[in-house]
Amino acid sequence: MEEIAMTITKTAENGTLRIALEGRLDTNTAPQLETELKTSLSGISELELDFSGLEYISSAGLRVLLAAQKTMSRQGKMTIRNVNETIMEVFEITGFVEILTIV
Amino acid sequence: MKEKISGLSIKLITSVLLLSVLLCAAISYMGYREFTTVLEDEYNRSAYEIAETAKSYLDPDRLEHYLETGEIDAAYLEIQDRLDALVVSTNSYLIYVTRLSNDYTTSTYIFDAVHPDSGFTRYALGYTAQDMDPAYQDEVEQIMTTGERSAVYFYSYTQASGAHTTAGIPVKDSAGEIVAFLGVEKAMTALENARQTYVWNVMGITVLAVVLFLVVYIGFLRREVVSPILTIAGEARRFAEDNVARLDLLEQIRKKDEIGTLARAIGRMETDIVQYVENLTAVTAEKERIGTELNVATQIQADMLPRIFPPFPERDEFDIYATMTPAREVGGDFYDFFLVDQDHLAVVIADVSGKGVPAALFMVIVKTLIKNHTQTGMAPDQVFETVNRQLCENNEAGMFVTAFLGVLEISTGRFTYVNAGHNPPLAALGGRPYDWLPSKRGFVLAGLEGVRYQQQEIVLCPGDSIFCYTDGVTEALDPADALYSEARLRAFFRGRDLEGRPLAEQLDLLRRDIAAFAAGAEQADDITMLLLRINKTTGRDEHG
Repeated sequence: MEEIAMTITKTAENGTLRIALEGRLDTNTAPQLETELKTSLSGISELELDFSGLEYISSAGLRVLLAAQKTMSRQGKMTIRNVNETIMEVFEITGFVEILTIV
Repeated sequence: MKEKISGLSIKLITSVLLLSVLLCAAISYMGYREFTTVLEDEYNRSAYEIAETAKSYLDPDRLEHYLETGEIDAAYLEIQDRLDALVVSTNSYLIYVTRLSNDYTTSTYIFDAVHPDSGFTRYALGYTAQDMDPAYQDEVEQIMTTGERSAVYFYSYTQASGAHTTAGIPVKDSAGEIVAFLGVEKAMTALENARQTYVWNVMGITVLAVVLFLVVYIGFLRREVVSPILTIAGEARRFAEDNVARLDLLEQIRKKDEIGTLARAIGRMETDIVQYVENLTAVTAEKERIGTELNVATQIQADMLPRIFPPFPERDEFDIYATMTPAREVGGDFYDFFLVDQDHLAVVIADVSGKGVPAALFMVIVKTLIKNHTQTGMAPDQVFETVNRQLCENNEAGMFVTAFLGVLEISTGRFTYVNAGHNPPLAALGGRPYDWLPSKRGFVLAGLEGVRYQQQEIVLCPGDSIFCYTDGVTEALDPADALYSEARLRAFFRGRDLEGRPLAEQLDLLRRDIAAFAAGAEQADDITMLLLRINKTTGRDEHG
């Protein structure tokens, strides 16, 4: 896949960062989100990830989520919204449902 | 170096030639004009002198008398002779004395001296002609009323008399009355020839000057422009062929003008290109080296997986077969199986997050750790807890791995397994169709410290099969980005008549089914599959 098939939309207010993802979070696009989070998580006490536009997540994507979860556990909380069935299945298989806050 | 006249020279020479022709024409024309004016002036002045001389021959008081009587006496004849002589000696056409009508249109001749060579015949005394050119009437009136010379030189060209100039003066009697008009017509025979010679001379000199200039100019062009440009062009051509910067030729062009700038620019370009090519070669070599190393890495990784089938030819209690089809680059999937002891077979399948060399390196660690711990006879849940702890110790990169480990007690068919976030295997148990092996989900390995894993246990009977796989199978994409999915995978195992077929053939069929689904779409992830079939159990623990 040549094009980066994911778009990231960020809104920040009062220490809350909302990130909406669209497309596929896989090996090709995960570094994009990783960079985004690395630069914008400092001083954030609440991270909300909106997955309503996200179709697919691969292990590379899970790795970024795990890193974000670890960071946010130290400085606040992280929630994930609007998870579709396919991704929910991945979370369940991998045990990520246990460590993520999915609402 | 022999050079032909180049296109550039031709253009420059053509423009110089054009300029020369224009200049030559302008000079000739101006010379012609100036020459004509001066000569005409001279001729006209001469005509007036003749007219004055002729006037001095006349007896103005008698003119009236001659006209009225028409009498030609001795005095008249004498004057006429003198006028005739004057015409010849001054080489004039005509000298005439006329009385003009009041409206200056009609002349009545009193004297008329004609040059013998002119072809004219003399008009007799009293001959009247309406011969005044209307164009001259105003001038003649001016002359006759004021007695002044005309500012306009009468000049005309007739077929008969050629170019000639006319002088006209009034003749006054003793009382000061103007009684007649005296005209002199003088041919300007020298004018034509002299003028032609003059024009030819001017043109000749100009052409000579242009030719001389061109010879010098072409020489200059060759030496200063064409030759250096040809040198630069030749150098550029040579460089394009052998790609070796040679600045000696270019440095000979030590000019401060644009050509010098061009030569220096080409020289710099050659040096830069050579430098660039060297860099590129180095980078390409480096890339090739890395590529080769990656290939070796892929090979090493593949070699780490048991690939000789059947792996345990002497064991007829079970069959096992596994394949890994890597995606584009070295990846993080692996399978493994080994005998813990004579009665225990361990099977592992795992998928490291991400791809490439980091995933491959991590995979090597995980595989080694799992095998080492399992071979000590440790229970699967203990193995995963230990491995997880060890992996978490130094995991700055945040890598993790999903893994499934099962240990089969060959004699009894007891299968103890643990799942760390991996896709649950498909199992065909007790003659029932394939379905997901019930597995308690555990968190991925290397994700969080201190995670507890729960192992489960089933008893496998002869004919039972277990299929382990990675998400490269279920997440294979078709051209419309649809997933192969668990549902399709289970449907494959349920729908096909796989009973009794060799395991290798079953997995090959599955791979074909996935390839058919992908329909040419690129394989995004490693596809790893492991199939285990129980052939028989002894029903007792050989060691127990």
